[in-house]
Amino acid sequence: MLRSQVLLIVLLAALALYLFRLRTTPRDRLLYVLMVGIAVPLVLFPDASNVVAHAVGIGRGADLVFYLFIIFSLFHFATSASRIRQLERQLTQLVQDRALDAPGLPHDHGSSSA
Amino acid sequence: MLAAPSVWIVIPALNEARTIGEVVAPLRAHGWRVLVIDDGSHDTTAAAAQAGGAVVLRHAINLGQGAGLRTGFAFVRAQPEARIVVTYDADGQHQPESVATLLGALEQSGADVALGSRFLDPAASREIPTSRRALLRLATLFTRATTGLRLTDAHNGLRALTVEAATRLRLTHNRMAHASEILSEIARLGLRYVEAPVTIRYTDYSMAKGQRPLDAIAILWDIFTAGLR
Repeated sequence: MLRSQVLLIVLLAALALYLFRLRTTPRDRLLYVLMVGIAVPLVLFPDASNVVAHAVGIGRGADLVFYLFIIFSLFHFATSASRIRQLERQLTQLVQDRALDAPGLPHDHGSSSA
Repeated sequence: MLAAPSVWIVIPALNEARTIGEVVAPLRAHGWRVLVIDDGSHDTTAAAAQAGGAVVLRHAINLGQGAGLRTGFAFVRAQPEARIVVTYDADGQHQPESVATLLGALEQSGADVALGSRFLDPAASREIPTSRRALLRLATLFTRATTGLRLTDAHNGLRALTVEAATRLRLTHNRMAHASEILSEIARLGLRYVEAPVTIRYTDYSMAKGQRPLDAIAILWDIFTAGLR
């Protein structure tokens, strides 16, 4: 095994462990297992990506990996954006409820016009 | 005639300690109730507003003017004597007399909403700086195209609504796009609306606080990405 392969596999394992602890939904776990499950064989057998790429009409394996990376990134961007919006909505609700719970009364409270 | 205490004036404010007292006091002098939403200010806006005679609700963090109005509407809805809710800017550009004009228009017409317009009175519209006028004209055309509302001024912060109408509005934009959102909700719900002439005082302070042409792009972005929510 090349030294670069050892290094990449160690990094992938560390990443997988970290993501596993960070994200706990089964859907996310499945996704990360799938990613690492594809990445490790590709590191061990770099030529495999060439074979798959040629089979689908793409010139090089590296190009195929790059295209998949772009698609995954876009997917990740979309899900993150919707999650942020959801958090924003929840935060807004929380801040508004808190504000409504504690109105500050005017200092002229009880005078003629109030 | 509307009894003054049935009118609530809602003013979202961010770091307006310098002017908010002078904005609130004359409104209180008319007998109207004033509610200031302190939208996460870092200065003494809340204390200054209370000293001026306003009820104050405080957002722990800054959410934006649209969220401020929503908080205000929620509060006013819970006040048993409230009939009318007025939206008003904190920076001193609106006049208490304009509120009286709006209330009169609302009562006379029996409409659900009275919207302030800077362009109904030719003398008043001449006061508007040219750069701002061009931007406002564009915004008005955009509003006509998207909502079908025939308005002369699309982005005026001064409005009077019946509490029932304000309650029915489904508002989601926290930041500036709420102005367009209020209009599209008026169109969606088929609310009856009238326009009434208001004058805006353009001071250096309110110009600096007001929106710049660049904000129009941010607002459009908010509106177009709203579909992704």
